[in-house]
Amino acid sequence: MGKKFKKLIKNFSLSELRAGLGITAKELVNKKITVQFPEERTPISPRFRGLHALRRYPNGEERCIACKLCEAVCPANAITIESEMREDGTRRTTQYDIDLFKCIFCGFCEESCPVDAIVETQIFDYAFIDSREGSIINKARLLEVGDKNEDMINKTKLEDAKYK
Amino acid sequence: MLEIEIDGAKVSADPGEMLIAVTDRAGIRVPRFCYHKHLSIAANCRMCLVDIEGSPKPKPACSTPIAEGMKIWTHNDKTKISQKAVMEFLLINHPLDCPICDQGGECELQDVAMDYGADISRFTEGKRIVEDKDIGALIQTDMTRCIHCTRCVRFGDEIAGVMEMGATGRGENLKIEPFLAYGIDSELSGNMIDICPVGALTSKPFRYELRSWQMQSVAGVSRHDLVGSNLLSQTYKGKVKRIVARENSDINETWIADRERFSYQGLSHENRLLMPQIKIEGKWQEVTWNVALDFALKGLNNAVLNNKQTDRLGALATNTATLEEFYLLQKILRGVGTQNIDYRLNIKDLDATINLPSNIKLTDLETLDYGLIIGANLRLEQPLINHRLRKAVLSGAMVDVVNVAEFDFNYQPNNHNIIAPNQIALLLAGVLKVVLESTQAEVLPDLQNLNPNATAKQLAARLLRADNAVIVLGEHLLNIPQVAIIAALITQIAQHTDSKTLNTSLSANSKAADLAGFTPGRDGLDANTMLTAQLKAYILLDIYPQYDFYNSPKAIEAFNNADTFIIALNSFKDEVVLEYADILLPIANFYESPGSHVNIEGLVQSFPAAVSAPGEAKPAWKVFKVLADLLQLPGFDYTANQQITSEATMHQNPKLSKVDVSKVDVSIDLTMKKGIDIIWQKSPYAIDVLLRHSPALQMTKIGQINTASMNAATAKKLKLTQTDDYLGVPVVLSETVADDCVFINANRQTWDRGQ
Repeated sequence: MGKKFKKLIKNFSLSELRAGLGITAKELVNKKITVQFPEERTPISPRFRGLHALRRYPNGEERCIACKLCEAVCPANAITIESEMREDGTRRTTQYDIDLFKCIFCGFCEESCPVDAIVETQIFDYAFIDSREGSIINKARLLEVGDKNEDMINKTKLEDAKYK
Repeated sequence: MLEIEIDGAKVSADPGEMLIAVTDRAGIRVPRFCYHKHLSIAANCRMCLVDIEGSPKPKPACSTPIAEGMKIWTHNDKTKISQKAVMEFLLINHPLDCPICDQGGECELQDVAMDYGADISRFTEGKRIVEDKDIGALIQTDMTRCIHCTRCVRFGDEIAGVMEMGATGRGENLKIEPFLAYGIDSELSGNMIDICPVGALTSKPFRYELRSWQMQSVAGVSRHDLVGSNLLSQTYKGKVKRIVARENSDINETWIADRERFSYQGLSHENRLLMPQIKIEGKWQEVTWNVALDFALKGLNNAVLNNKQTDRLGALATNTATLEEFYLLQKILRGVGTQNIDYRLNIKDLDATINLPSNIKLTDLETLDYGLIIGANLRLEQPLINHRLRKAVLSGAMVDVVNVAEFDFNYQPNNHNIIAPNQIALLLAGVLKVVLESTQAEVLPDLQNLNPNATAKQLAARLLRADNAVIVLGEHLLNIPQVAIIAALITQIAQHTDSKTLNTSLSANSKAADLAGFTPGRDGLDANTMLTAQLKAYILLDIYPQYDFYNSPKAIEAFNNADTFIIALNSFKDEVVLEYADILLPIANFYESPGSHVNIEGLVQSFPAAVSAPGEAKPAWKVFKVLADLLQLPGFDYTANQQITSEATMHQNPKLSKVDVSKVDVSIDLTMKKGIDIIWQKSPYAIDVLLRHSPALQMTKIGQINTASMNAATAKKLKLTQTDDYLGVPVVLSETVADDCVFINANRQTWDRGQ
């Protein structure tokens, strides 16, 4: 009997509604946490694994030496590499494709790279709306991503280095 | 039999064996770099140290002979500490360039470093760097990576027989380098790539192409020579990328010749034929297989079948075809009712074709005590047969040579008899006479008046004295007039001295052609008579007449005859073939088609296809099967290559040659006329179309030989001087060539041998 009566009082006094509205009222004056993407962005961990990039040395020489370790380690078989001896006698890739449909962004390629050539950047908002083929990203585009974002790559890798 | 204990388990072993051989057999892995079972023991890498009970220090397993009751630990703490210490020393100067090293992934040092290497190097001093030398077109050097195991040095000394690599300096300054400026030229040099435990010696044509884990290995058999070397063709995305040796102690041990290792390059040559083509009113058109085969059928019907002139149809094939291809092609020809079939294209006198048997096993060559080599430069013709003979010589056998010129041997023959080609029969007749006299056999009437010279007496005495003797006949004498007599004499000498014979005169897969019955029957025309018989139609299997025929211009002229219908099955495009053929069918080459090789012992070795042929090219056996179906011939219901193999090997082949060599009358004309003989030695890297398209081999010293050598007296008779170009081949005057002999050693067969 007592239980039923208490429930009746609770329902008719609208206590739950008032509690709810209380939260709304509190959030009305609190600082907002939503961001206006893409104008605004949330902070990203330096360890974030986004779009891949191929890096260069400061003198402009590409880092990749076509050792194919990333190709071997890739659990999704997303990487395809062909290599040859370049005219100056060094070992270089002629083809370096990453199939972003297959890629699971595990970061093994970056882990395995002996020369820090292939890295995963913080870029995640890439969209290849022009064509589906755009999702298979080739050597020229990977190098382009690297060239454009070298400062960001440098900074994040430096931040993360002390935990490795 | 001794019993020893390894890691607590009892193992039995033969007395005198080294420990490492016992552990290998027992499947216990002992790390090693310098030890190789076919090379001598150096014990200089110290990696195989094991703990032996009673011994204060660990000992190298590769150089410790076993003793009864030995107790060995291969993986206890004492062993591991010493092995790790050795590993640290080896890694002091080894560069950390595994990511760009072609050996990476199949490197013995890398594997052992995973087990025994330390994570961190304690070596803070400067690392040693060794300058590289260009040692030729086949082997790439990165000598900084070398760990001084000296396998390559020992290989050169003990197997190749030419010590091309050597160790100079001591300690930190020790360098492995070629002794001479010209690099590595041996015909077996590629094996150094296989035996190098690190990436110091790697394959130059394969440089930086692929990593070892990317390729699939398919077992194969080589068809370049009479040995049938076992190999692995390593493929990637449908292309053969590398060839490595496959072990078979009865055939090739662990070695293969360079032409086996590098001929694969030709497979991806731009000259490969990719589409069937037919010639209509003088113009070539690419067509589908259906159209092409219909055209072939119509052509054959018009030319020979409809007007019942099947005896005007002929088939010729290259000697590198497979057993199955030979068998099907002869079955088609015999099916339509003709026996004009042949593969012996570069022989002048086919009636006298040497039918000298080979009756010795390759492994038995090692246990010989006497060998007589007649008319052969075995090192270039049959490198692995020569290697077995060399092993016999090293263990004490005696070898005599009867040749028309002096060649480089990689062992020391006892007597190097340089004899004019027209005198060799006379010499052998002398040998036979001495042999017959001393065995109290009846001396043939023709030999009564013969007066054997000192050489003949000496050779006969040695043959009679030897328990295991072999007489080897090579390819040089194939085209001299007395060849049948020479073969008959050798047979008789062998019979009366209990010697074995080895006939290397017809190379490649010619034993398969014999087995498949790919020779003219009693009523058939042979390769030479076909060319003069004005046939109406030919089926030509991978033939390039400017290289393959004894008399190339005559062959090209015969094929160019306007009313001759020619079906050419070729794997490579060729101007001369385009000129005469009416239809060109693209076919598979080595590693692209399943098949069988028959080696000099008669051993049939079948192999699968490793890759598929490029473009529209098909294996020739499939083409022949479809052609036979179109011709409505019975008995061609094959669905797999193996069915043909078993039929071909069961098949009772017709008489191989018209001449039975044991019945040839050895009538010797003592006043033999003294003409000048032309002895032809094809470059070993130009004997078939695949080799001719392999760029790396053509750049080697052996691949670039191109001379006609003769002595001054012969040159005077021919009115030639050193500066002359003897029909396209530069003349070299050399007193190491016998009288009355022009020795042509040329890469490109650009001249008319019929002259």
